[in-house]
Amino acid sequence: MKWATRAGIHIDRASSAWLIRRFIDPDAEFVFVTDPDDVPTDATPFDMRGVAYGHHGNDCTFETILRRHDLADPVLWRIAAIVHEADIEDDRYDAPEAPGLDVVLRGLSMTQDDDTVLALTGPVFDGLFDYYRRSLILGKDTPT
Amino acid sequence: MVTKHSGEALDWVTLIYRVPREPSSPRIAIWRKLRALGVAQLGDGVVALPEDARTREHLEWVADQVIEAGGSALLLRAQTLARKDERALAHAMSRSRAEEYRDLTNRAAEVAQASPSLAEAARALKRLRKDLRTIQKRDYFPPAERDHAVAAINRLADIGAADPVSTQGGRT
Repeated sequence: MKWATRAGIHIDRASSAWLIRRFIDPDAEFVFVTDPDDVPTDATPFDMRGVAYGHHGNDCTFETILRRHDLADPVLWRIAAIVHEADIEDDRYDAPEAPGLDVVLRGLSMTQDDDTVLALTGPVFDGLFDYYRRSLILGKDTPT
Repeated sequence: MVTKHSGEALDWVTLIYRVPREPSSPRIAIWRKLRALGVAQLGDGVVALPEDARTREHLEWVADQVIEAGGSALLLRAQTLARKDERALAHAMSRSRAEEYRDLTNRAAEVAQASPSLAEAARALKRLRKDLRTIQKRDYFPPAERDHAVAAINRLADIGAADPVSTQGGRT
């Protein structure tokens, strides 16, 4: 399937692309547009204004995708807390990792094109997933 | 922080919006979000931030929130025609932040003067640093008061560091 999002990706788009490819659509193909009107007709838009896979209520796009696909894995919700705080910065979660990851992503998007940012951040989110899976193995520390 | 060469006019991402009076909770949520972003209030329902990827994205989502609340929103990229007006805007934003930094400096000084225990100093330090980060996130034209606040908070950190007991894990 084809997925479209805004060019100049930051943490919510990078993490959502990783989530889509790893848990929803392994063959996902991503296109980056500068104007919502440029989204190809055969593509599903995400993290854009006024689309289903966007911010809704207090949720960032990563959280919206988790809810829409009933992905309840606490490890994914731990990552969602980090993405939420790096993206929305409203102190809804306690995610001290967020400011660090935020600047890493901002720096990458200054020096790399969007495809490269996705290629580089995929393993980062894979790593976060395995790291938090280990810490959540006993079922503690589930973010609320 | 905004860095641009002098002489080049800043782009301001400008949100013109109108939210229904009732229900009041989405209106208040929007107002809180704008305040947290440290926007320049240009008029009734007109706010602006110096444009970068982050400020643009934040205001885009606020615009969506306005529309979800049954209001109307228009985002524009704007420049002041006169350099003087740009400076006035930046100064007004900077003055608002300066006030917040002064408050932090005073709070840090009060804690230091009360000769706090290590644990008290550590707790106060944690809170002050968190508030400092919050202010810095909405500080686009840092005033000198920022450096004073940082210095006052660092002096508080030194209280713990200078005390040999602190090496036994008194600080967090």
